Amino acid sequence: MDLAIRTEHLTKIFNNRNVAVNDMSLEVPRGAVFGLLGPNGAGKTTTFRILLGLQRATAGRAEVFGIPCGPNAVEVRRMIGYLPTHPQLPGHLRPIEYLDLLGQLCRIPKEIRKPRLVSLLRAVGLLGQTDQPIETLSTGETTRLGIAASLVADPPLLVWDEPTAGLDPAARRFTLDLIRELGKSRTVVVSTHILSDIDQVCDHVGVMHEGRMIFSGPMQDMKRRLRRDDFLLEVGGQDREVQRLAAQMNAVEGVDVQVRGTNTLLVRLPQERSQAALLAELLKMVDAAGLPLAAIHSGLHETENAYLQLLQEDQSHGFQRFDLRPRRADAPVPGDLPP
Amino acid sequence: MLPFLAIFRHDLRILLKSWLVRIWFMAAALLALVLLMSSWAEVKTAPMIASLMVPWLVFPWFVVVMVLGVNPITGSRTEALADGFLSRPIARHEYLLAVWAARLAVVLGTYLIVTAPAVCVAMLAKRPAPADHVTLYGVVASMAVVALVLALQVSLAFLMGTLLRKALLAVVVLLFLWYPVNAVLHTFRLEAFSPITLSQTLPTLLRQSWRTGEADLPAPGTELEIEELKRQAATFLSVLSGGAAEEAPRRKPGFFEQNALREFSLTKVLLGYGVPAIASLGLALVAFWRRDL
Repeated sequence: MDLAIRTEHLTKIFNNRNVAVNDMSLEVPRGAVFGLLGPNGAGKTTTFRILLGLQRATAGRAEVFGIPCGPNAVEVRRMIGYLPTHPQLPGHLRPIEYLDLLGQLCRIPKEIRKPRLVSLLRAVGLLGQTDQPIETLSTGETTRLGIAASLVADPPLLVWDEPTAGLDPAARRFTLDLIRELGKSRTVVVSTHILSDIDQVCDHVGVMHEGRMIFSGPMQDMKRRLRRDDFLLEVGGQDREVQRLAAQMNAVEGVDVQVRGTNTLLVRLPQERSQAALLAELLKMVDAAGLPLAAIHSGLHETENAYLQLLQEDQSHGFQRFDLRPRRADAPVPGDLPP
Repeated sequence: MLPFLAIFRHDLRILLKSWLVRIWFMAAALLALVLLMSSWAEVKTAPMIASLMVPWLVFPWFVVVMVLGVNPITGSRTEALADGFLSRPIARHEYLLAVWAARLAVVLGTYLIVTAPAVCVAMLAKRPAPADHVTLYGVVASMAVVALVLALQVSLAFLMGTLLRKALLAVVVLLFLWYPVNAVLHTFRLEAFSPITLSQTLPTLLRQSWRTGEADLPAPGTELEIEELKRQAATFLSVLSGGAAEEAPRRKPGFFEQNALREFSLTKVLLGYGVPAIASLGLALVAFWRRDL
């Protein structure tokens, strides 16, 4: 498999005290939109900073497109467009000056650099703010400028650290659309703990917990880990009628129905029977009761559930997480699905 | 070269906009004017020019120079630095050399802009003071020596900023290192490299000519002056070892009249300041290369 990022047993311990990344192995396929999930302090940002050579790995190795990462790995940084969380940009500069400076750092000739800056500013909607110092821009505008900065060198790999953090809904939508669009032509790695973002844009996902990669693989594999036997039915009508309908449904063998909130039924189906047939039977009951069906949700918040399930599993493994066996480079990461 | 120049220009722009540099420039110009006026009528040209160099060699400008040198890679700037620049395709040594060069340019630029016109005025103006033979070579060599001392101060500050990370701590450590440097150098018989001795030998250097070198040196000091030098060293060591200070002589020669170092060697001084400056920069590069951001 052609890989954009590969880490092997990557470990980072700060001052011999704080373990930020713990024996982490990760493979990001070229062309993927990879979501890196994990709670705060899981080691996502540290991993990115090791890839960029801003921090040194205590042990293990990291490669980007086959080139080892390190403080002087200029070639690696040339291929990465990095967007930090809440980017701290030089406030006294104007957006176009900042992008021009970055263009020079990326050794882009003036003839290419100047037109690119303007098109980037237009793309991120900052053409109207070109005469304002960066320090006067809002959080959303600063993030958009950071996005433009990550694209100055037109890199084949984008590494964006919590790009939607602190954004209003419109700015968040803009960012997610941009990730989707950019993911068509390059590899994108996005870290976040907002699961719906990952759900919307990523085709591969990695879950980090306490510095370890506890799952890494296609998005579908992660969702498949969940039990998919629950549905939510939203129906109209009076409470009394909804309660009566729930009671009728509970009479069906193996079916468990609970009323949740207003007019919402949580339906759990037995795995050993045909779910389609059972669901059809239940929907007929709704129709027979004369209640309008507003919506059916299947596996609501499935990514969130899968994610939480992974974290719980990792914690419940306890001492089993300790593994002294020497691992081959191509061995599966603990927590991966069997092929 | 493009990234180096980009960082250099960017840093230079920040420095020139900073209030520290602006106030420093005005204060240095004012002090030079005051020194020039105060010695206009009586002091010979060589001691007059030497007195213009004293604030740069001894006090107070080394404090500003060190603050400027410490600043770029310490404290809250580190994060912005990492996010803004070092995550881009630029090597760390390129960045560090560029900001070092920018600081050096500002320090030397301020020094030259303030001092050069004052030196020209002192040399060319007709004054009531006794005539003195100051050579062009002497002026250039003296200014180069002071510039080299300033380069060492910037480089030392850079090293401390890289090693200690906290700007305030680095400045305090530097002050504690720099203040007693004269006493330490005297103790180890390296007084030729002490900034105070250097400023005292500047009149000698200013009168030196390019061709004749040592032959054209002014007449060696009197036996009395040599005795005075010996007495000062003995007193210093005596005080250090807990003894009583010797009684002071009746007449003390002026600061620039001591002619303390007749064996002054420009090459030695250039090496004595140049090598540590380069070594400090090299160590700063190594420390910065090894450091996590």
